[in-house]
Amino acid sequence: MSPGAAYLDVCILCPERGGRGHTSPNEAQPVVVQGTGVGGPTPLSPLQLWRSVIALPASAIPVHPSPAPCRPGRRQRVCLGRGLDITQLSYPLPPFLPAPPQHPGVHLLEMVSPALTPLPSAPLQDIRNTVGNIPMEWYQDFPHIGYNLEGKKIYKPIRNKDELDMFLEKMENPDYWRTVQDKMTGADIKLTDEQVDLVHRLQKGQFGDVHFNPYEPAVDFFTHEVMIHPVTNRPADKRSFIPSLIEKEKVSKLVHAIKMGWIKPRKPKDDTPTYYDLWAHEDPNSILGRHKMHVPAPKMKLPGHEESYNPPPEYLLSEEEKLAWEQQEPAERKLNFVPQQYRCLRAVPAYSRFIHERFERCLDLYLCPRQRKMRVNVDPEDLIPKLPKPRDLQPFPTTQALVYRGHTSLVRCLSISPSGQWLVSGSDDCTVRFWEVCTARCMKTLPVGGVVKSVAWNPNPTICLVAICVEQSVLLVNPCLGDKLLYGATDQLLESYVAPEEERVQPVQWVTATMEEHSKGVRLVVQHSKAVKQVTWHGKGDYFASVVSDNSNMQVLIHQTSKRWSQNPFRKSKGLVQCVLFHPIRPYFFVATQRYVRVYNLLKQELTKKLMTNCKWVSSMAIHPGGDNIICGSYDSKLAWFDLDLSTRPYQLLRHHKKALRSVAFHKHYPLFASGSDDGTVIVCHGMVYNDLLQNPLLVPVKVLKGHAMTLDLGVLDVLFHPTQPWVFSSGADSTVRLYT
Amino acid sequence: MAQLTARFRTDNRRYAVEDVPFSVPAASETTDLSHLINKLLAAGHDHKYVEFDFLINGQFLRMPLVTHMEMENISTEEVVEIEYVEKYMAPQPEECIFHDDWISSVQATEEWILTGCYDQTARIWSLEGKSIMTIAGHTEVVKDVAWVKQDSLSCLLLSASMDQTVLLWEWNVEKNKVKALHCCRGHAGSVDSIAVDCTRTKFCSGSWDKMLKIWSAVPTEEEDEMEEAANRPRKKQKTEQLGLTRTPLATLSGHTEAVSSVLWSDTEEICSASWDHTIKLWDAETGDLKSTLTGNKVFNSVSYSPLCRRLASGSTDRHIRLWDPRSKDGSLVLLSLTSHTGWVTSVKWSPTHEHQLISGSLDNIVKLWDTRSCKAPLYDLAAHEDKVLCVDWTEAGLLLSGGADNKLYCYRYPATASDVGA
Repeated sequence: MSPGAAYLDVCILCPERGGRGHTSPNEAQPVVVQGTGVGGPTPLSPLQLWRSVIALPASAIPVHPSPAPCRPGRRQRVCLGRGLDITQLSYPLPPFLPAPPQHPGVHLLEMVSPALTPLPSAPLQDIRNTVGNIPMEWYQDFPHIGYNLEGKKIYKPIRNKDELDMFLEKMENPDYWRTVQDKMTGADIKLTDEQVDLVHRLQKGQFGDVHFNPYEPAVDFFTHEVMIHPVTNRPADKRSFIPSLIEKEKVSKLVHAIKMGWIKPRKPKDDTPTYYDLWAHEDPNSILGRHKMHVPAPKMKLPGHEESYNPPPEYLLSEEEKLAWEQQEPAERKLNFVPQQYRCLRAVPAYSRFIHERFERCLDLYLCPRQRKMRVNVDPEDLIPKLPKPRDLQPFPTTQALVYRGHTSLVRCLSISPSGQWLVSGSDDCTVRFWEVCTARCMKTLPVGGVVKSVAWNPNPTICLVAICVEQSVLLVNPCLGDKLLYGATDQLLESYVAPEEERVQPVQWVTATMEEHSKGVRLVVQHSKAVKQVTWHGKGDYFASVVSDNSNMQVLIHQTSKRWSQNPFRKSKGLVQCVLFHPIRPYFFVATQRYVRVYNLLKQELTKKLMTNCKWVSSMAIHPGGDNIICGSYDSKLAWFDLDLSTRPYQLLRHHKKALRSVAFHKHYPLFASGSDDGTVIVCHGMVYNDLLQNPLLVPVKVLKGHAMTLDLGVLDVLFHPTQPWVFSSGADSTVRLYT
Repeated sequence: MAQLTARFRTDNRRYAVEDVPFSVPAASETTDLSHLINKLLAAGHDHKYVEFDFLINGQFLRMPLVTHMEMENISTEEVVEIEYVEKYMAPQPEECIFHDDWISSVQATEEWILTGCYDQTARIWSLEGKSIMTIAGHTEVVKDVAWVKQDSLSCLLLSASMDQTVLLWEWNVEKNKVKALHCCRGHAGSVDSIAVDCTRTKFCSGSWDKMLKIWSAVPTEEEDEMEEAANRPRKKQKTEQLGLTRTPLATLSGHTEAVSSVLWSDTEEICSASWDHTIKLWDAETGDLKSTLTGNKVFNSVSYSPLCRRLASGSTDRHIRLWDPRSKDGSLVLLSLTSHTGWVTSVKWSPTHEHQLISGSLDNIVKLWDTRSCKAPLYDLAAHEDKVLCVDWTEAGLLLSGGADNKLYCYRYPATASDVGA
């Protein structure tokens, strides 16, 4: 505290602090405002004082311990400086603070004068302005600047300084920089060093009070560390150690709700991320779609040894190779350059074809249209129809059981008695043999004096008669096998024939057998004009049809045994007839020529149907016992299945045999059919015909039966099913008959 | 695994060994085990070498021990109990009797052999193979023959033929004369099988005409009335007649196909096998169908053993099947014996042994089976050169088989080696 300076110890109480936050009463330090009395009156206006105070952060404002409340606007005696007596200081509150009586903005409580007594007696002009906190520009155009306490105008100080004066003063006055103009009074005020320091500190954002320490050590009352003493010494509540009834009630409610199914367990979260195919609904023909079908350009070949500047000698072309390379077409060359050797990489010249090759690459990349070939990805297995396994289609013949040996030449034809006890076979050794089926015992041998082309056992079980084609005649033979009564009755039936009175013109001659023939079993001989190649019985056993190798309309003849009457049903020849067949139930007659099968209605005497076999040469034909399906074997190794209700074209063409088919047969009861071929095999197929008209027949080849030896390029000549058992007979060129069961 | 623990057991006390577990090589076969037993027996007292056969859980051992046990799912960890029996000796061939034609049937007694032949005759042979009598009278192949009664003076015998008749013959042994007593008419097809009941007063015949007929086997002096076919001249029939006409006591119809084999399984029960894939059991007294055993192949032959009460059937699918005729569901096959490669034409149970039977087949082989070894037969008798059509087994242990090679082979079959000594 230097002499000559007036000091004010000011204690300021900020009512908003309300006694809170201060450190301790002792630490309240007065704000020291240093005034200077040097150099004339330097009144520190209350505003200046105020500003210096309020610039302090609120935390730094100490509070006076005085319990006495202060009132705003209270006049107090303030001593400022020696010889300067400011007895009465009256100033208003700054207008920007709300100043209700309860909340006074700031109370200048007390100004404790230091030991500055007695005060000098010289009166001091009070120049305080009373205009309040108004913009002082309002007084710009007036000669006065405000009003003093008495209401008199305060005139602006006379300022006649021009720019030059200002400059001179600036140059000359060393305190120019600390001189400020009081806008309220218009007077120049020279700031003291303390004021300048204060301003500097405030400008730096420091506290106005030099002695204020903002970083007091903090006292941690509620520390995280566990202390030995509790913060409070309150005993624990009772509720803290007895179970809560409310919680129990809540839990039981939840349990009940779970039991009743009202609360369901949370569904497990589906963790799989959901992706959205942004392009799912993209039109593939649009540009984006085509991008999806992007076909990458072919990659360039990576450089190999040939491209090296110093390739291994084996990659270098010899003279001949070079010559050959030059003579090749550019497109045909394996390499489009000649590998060359250089001493070092530095010696490699520029590549002359660079531009050319880049251009070709560009052509390759974007100028050549590239399209993906759409190929249907079909598993070939799926195209095969689903057929049941042969194992599930049993019974069918699987193994050779018996061999009927005795013939000495190829066995052309087979037939079986309706009971299934006897088998008849006709052979090229000019004999017909009768066999016992179950033991392969030859019961009878009938020499007929000619090659036997066809045999047919009468399908009527009450008649014991076999029709045999020998050269130009058909023999009707009673084999005298089986029931004595039966074959006796057959003989009686034949003998009971009475010749008609008038002779009829017949295409054939019916001759009764001679005594010698009769003893062998031959009963009747039907003599044709040409060689007979097939004979077949009608199901009733009275009519039979024979096929003659002829080119005329006399190829097919139908005979009636009981009346010994023959007729020629056809007026015109429709081609070379291969075989004929009676329908098992209805009055239909099937005639197979080389390419077609014609179906005639015998009652109406008209052509009902013409079936195209799609084969080159039909060899044989068989009809399903139901009568609605027939199969045709052909010499071009095909088997055609016709469904007569379906179409005139084959329902299926089976090409299982390797060589020409010689014979086909249906089983009477089992859904089986068989075909014998020149390749020496018999193929047994499952041929199920359903009663349901909507369901097509099911044809499954089930077994290839081998056994016949190939003789003279011929294999199996005839196949035949047993009438009751799922057994098949086959006769072959190796002069045997075989039974497969 | 190299060793197995086994315990050996036998019913024959002569060959009993100590009942302690032995460690035997796992790969040992029948011969190895037989050597082992013989060694054990030789250690005890004087012992002649005997071949043994071994059974595990009632199945004959026919392969290495461990393989067999794996196949039969027997644990190799535990002590396995092996039963052993004296090995059945191979049948010894005795006679080969030549015929003029195929032999369709054979039946032998202690003294004579009766055969049916395809040359329309039945023949009587002594056991030594000497032809004693040729019985001609049928007009067709003789399909089956049977002895009815045997006395020292005269014998009654039956022959069934394809000419739809069964003839009852009386053979006077001393005079060696044969006389047709009765001609049994009624069948409308080849009579394939006849069987005489145990009282020797009735017989049953099965025919191709799907019928079974029961006839009296007692010779009488009267002729049964026959319904004559009106249009048939009486005189002609008389001349054909051989012996007095006899009509059936009862006709059993029910088969839908030919009857291939008949037999009496009891005093009043007839069993018939047929081509319609069934074996039917009939009550002979009432003529009712008692039960039906359904197979899926044609049956050629059936045989019944009163010892084990099983039916054995031979069928065209090359298997011999064993049936329990008492089973109610009717289609239960107890066992299949599979080794033949052709139709089984004939089966015959052993009259003395409850496990053994023989079978003849179209593959020319006669097989001797033990039901305890169903995969492989005990012995193959491969003497025939053509189809075997009939087999027979007498109580004296004579095996007979006839076939399409016109030969009748006789084998002496001692059940075991010890039987020979006894």
